[in-house]
Amino acid sequence: MTLRVSGLSAMRSGRTILHPTSLTIEPRARIGLVGTSGSGKSTLGHALIDDLRAQGHSVAHVPQSPDEALDPLRSMAFHWREAEWALGLQPGSADQKTLFTALKIAGGDLRKRPWGWSRGMQQRFVIAMALIGSPDLIVLDEPTSALDPVVAAATMDLLDRHLEGRATAMMLITHDLGLAARRVSTLMVMQEGRIVEQAPTAEILERPKTRASKSLTAHRNWMALPC
Amino acid sequence: MIATLLSLLLRAVVVLAGTAVLTFALLWNAPGDPAQAIAMARFDALLTEDVIDQVREEVGLNANFWGAFVDWVGPLLVLDFGNSAVTGRPVWPDLWVSITYTFPLALAGLAIGLVISLPLAILATQHPGRLLDRFAVAIASLGTAIPAFWLGLLLILLFAVQLDWLPAMGARTPAHAILPALTLGLGVAASLTRIIRSGILEARGQQFLPALSRRGVSPKAIGRDHVAPHAAVPVVTVVGLELAFLLEGLVVVEVIFGRPGLGTFLTSAILDRDFPHVQAVVVLTALVFVSVNLIVDVIYRQIDPRIGERDA
Repeated sequence: MTLRVSGLSAMRSGRTILHPTSLTIEPRARIGLVGTSGSGKSTLGHALIDDLRAQGHSVAHVPQSPDEALDPLRSMAFHWREAEWALGLQPGSADQKTLFTALKIAGGDLRKRPWGWSRGMQQRFVIAMALIGSPDLIVLDEPTSALDPVVAAATMDLLDRHLEGRATAMMLITHDLGLAARRVSTLMVMQEGRIVEQAPTAEILERPKTRASKSLTAHRNWMALPC
Repeated sequence: MIATLLSLLLRAVVVLAGTAVLTFALLWNAPGDPAQAIAMARFDALLTEDVIDQVREEVGLNANFWGAFVDWVGPLLVLDFGNSAVTGRPVWPDLWVSITYTFPLALAGLAIGLVISLPLAILATQHPGRLLDRFAVAIASLGTAIPAFWLGLLLILLFAVQLDWLPAMGARTPAHAILPALTLGLGVAASLTRIIRSGILEARGQQFLPALSRRGVSPKAIGRDHVAPHAAVPVVTVVGLELAFLLEGLVVVEVIFGRPGLGTFLTSAILDRDFPHVQAVVVLTALVFVSVNLIVDVIYRQIDPRIGERDA
């Protein structure tokens, strides 16, 4: 199902941090939302999730760090049950085994609290929760910034493989152009609360048009990054 | 868990042993002649040196410090508090009578405090900074600033003298406990409201809460399953301490309302230099403090096991 939002905007302390923005996201789309820190990427991501949820779409969210997704006082099993419950599923109905195997966290003890797991495993658990019920869109907000490069690359590979053949669209929010270059087919470049450029990834990387995208692609060493 | 409990118990035993030594040392080295004070309390007249020496010998004040300490602490291990230096009667029956007046009053005070503070703090935090919140903070600050002896007198003036609704002094009927319990409870409510309010506000600021909303978890479930446990950690600690400090506040309240209890038991024991009575109250208070702390430790380790991990 094609996802459409229009007129998304946000203000903070009387200042517009997201100017009216409209988006169309096709099923299976792989979109990268890039821009410098403070350009409004996460704000757009949050506004997009809230709007689509209000429309009745199933949208999953993976924040930057597992600390932003998991309650340290609650067990992993509780988080899983809660995520199922929030989606209106009966406890135990989500295909936990398949997801855990795909994301290589099948050995994790679900009775433990988040801090009983490694950070890499926690983040993959959060991604697994986001994939319960095959959402229409998964928004990954700097999903690998809390992970070391090797674990980050492996996690993204596992996610890519899991999403293959599914209708779920993916939006990857990042300031890391190296990560976006390898994972998405379309790039949206943000600057000062606006999407200033949108084009296929290869096109922006080869022929950036705006000052923001030129600035992002100026440093060519992103090709060497493992993600 | 068993290892944690054992280590907490060991800590409690060390604190109790320290309290016992300190209490005994303080009383042993108190200024004035305790034998003379005891003899005065017993015979209520000017006394000769012979009588005072006889009392000194009888209550063991002639022994050296450690000898006397061992004589006192040995029976204490089997909850034998000894005999009163003034009346000669066993301490425990009189102490027990005082406990039956004091502990229910302390629990009633804590219950009143919780019944007022919990809904008030929850209501106040619905809209932080708004009128109700500011009102709750102002009332709580005022309540903390008012001393129990003054509040007690105000309540007596209003409910006993002006309105004649409730009895002011004594402990004959359950109605006699209402004003003392209110005096204690309002003080507790004031400090608990501030703690619960800030606990809830801090818990609401947890960084993972927005992600839960975006995951579709209902606000009610977030409040119940995530905000409440985080807010509970400081609240459990303070409720425990409040219960222990209530015993302290009771000394004043019992004197104001003319009630029997640990407060009056302690004040008359101090005036009579009745060492076994004073020591019994101090040891009992220490036991309550240590037990409450032990229970609080166990509860918040259950809520947040990271506390135990950090200690280890």
